[in-house]
Amino acid sequence: MKRIVLILSYGYLIRYFLRIIVGVKCSDTSFLKKEKQFILIANHNSHLDAMSIMASMPKSIVHNVRPVAAQDYFGKTKRQEWFSNYFINTLLIQRKHDKSSIQDSPMHKMDEALKQGFSLIIFPEGSRGEPGVAQEFKAGVAMLLLQNPEIPYIPIYMKNMGKAMPKGDSLIVPHESTIVYGTPNKITHFTVDEILACMKQEMEVLRQSLENTKS
Amino acid sequence: MKEQILNYLSRMDLLQKIDILHVVEIIFAILITASLTFFIWGKLKPETNLKELKSRTNSWWVMVFLFIAAVLLDRMITFPALALLSFVAFRELYSMIGFRDVDRRPIFWAFLAIPVQYYLAYIGWYELFIIFIPVWMFLFIPVRMVIAGETTGIIKSMASLQWSLMITVYGLSHLAYFLALPEATNLSEGKSFINGGQGLLLFVVFLTEINDVLQFMWGKMLGKHKITPSVSPNKTWEGFIGGVLSTTVISYFIGFLTPLTDMQVVLGGFIIGCTGFFGDIVMSAIKRDIGVKDTGSTIPGHGGVLDRIDSLTYTAPIFFHFVYYIVF
Repeated sequence: MKRIVLILSYGYLIRYFLRIIVGVKCSDTSFLKKEKQFILIANHNSHLDAMSIMASMPKSIVHNVRPVAAQDYFGKTKRQEWFSNYFINTLLIQRKHDKSSIQDSPMHKMDEALKQGFSLIIFPEGSRGEPGVAQEFKAGVAMLLLQNPEIPYIPIYMKNMGKAMPKGDSLIVPHESTIVYGTPNKITHFTVDEILACMKQEMEVLRQSLENTKS
Repeated sequence: MKEQILNYLSRMDLLQKIDILHVVEIIFAILITASLTFFIWGKLKPETNLKELKSRTNSWWVMVFLFIAAVLLDRMITFPALALLSFVAFRELYSMIGFRDVDRRPIFWAFLAIPVQYYLAYIGWYELFIIFIPVWMFLFIPVRMVIAGETTGIIKSMASLQWSLMITVYGLSHLAYFLALPEATNLSEGKSFINGGQGLLLFVVFLTEINDVLQFMWGKMLGKHKITPSVSPNKTWEGFIGGVLSTTVISYFIGFLTPLTDMQVVLGGFIIGCTGFFGDIVMSAIKRDIGVKDTGSTIPGHGGVLDRIDSLTYTAPIFFHFVYYIVF
């Protein structure tokens, strides 16, 4: 049931709402079908980010991808938690967790989801920053990849998402925005800092590719 | 059930109007000729690069089908379809211009003006339709910006937002108002308004687009003297004059769509040829100022939606008021 709801909403309803009304454009994503499992790494500016990424993927894999989101934000109440788990398929993690309990730790939860065969969407900047300004990447994603070096990661750059729905504003004002996917890569470095630097570099290449097509 | 469908089909506007059907046939003839030409050309000389031209032609096919579905099948589809066109064009333009973050709510109100404007066209309330954006929105948007409180850069925001609304919503909505026109009152002898607003709408859209294509072709074949070197270096006097002349000639032959006399139709065609060019270079200048080549990438080979309808933003209101002055 959940699978049908997800496919209907991201394959059709939300997809066409985002494309026709909000004006989200996306590069070709059919290559995702060939990847068995992956981790999407994206910049974060807007509440629309996770939904737009889900809506940009091929319909057949949507139910298998879970955006990683903050428990303290999306799971404030039980109902909210159910809602975001059901309709956005989120994997909620505790940003400030009890260090003594392994069950609660974000790393453990994400690792678990990967073991179950899910793909993940991770926003390594953590919270949504100022529109168009990149923040430092958090280390979690690199640690996760070190634990699962066989899973490829795919960088995604989103432009102008924060203009359609910026932080602190719940009104959607249609604005042209673009999602561009990079190519799947497996980690080649084995320290956290090097992996993060490598990701940042790939993200920057994607950002510049968007600037060039516009001039 | 079958009877109902047949009954509905026979009531459909397109099938009732033989003249309009003729022009649709002409359009398809042109498209088929173009596709065949490029196909054969590509086979004979495989080394020439026709990719751009082919993708343009393919996009034309899609646009023609969409246009027929939206505009000629049934007037109930036309109003929302044209409103959607305005919506996409407005979104493209304002996103490209770039506004301050505090302008989001005024922009939201500007978006709301689109359904209102097209609804006014739908119910045929001419007096309000014609002043809603130039008077009411013009006065309201600055107030909403002032309420938002940020004064730095407010003049630019006020002016750009109003201009965007005028060019993409007000101008294009005249296309929709063609369908709400009452029976013509001031016809010359022997002329009738049998093709109604749809005839006029088809006339102005067909001529505007064919004028774009012809100006491009004449420019490619004969172009030497640049007409606007600092705005759009590919435009030439030869392209402009050749395009306007051939558009004027064509307008004479499809004048049967309109309730105008031969003299008036030719004048109308001439006006469409010239103002289509103006719409084109005005949008080119805007793009040049911002530093982009196309307004988007929605239509393969053409750029954004706004790139395709830039001439229409000028020809639609101008031809509308030309006709309105003569026969109403």
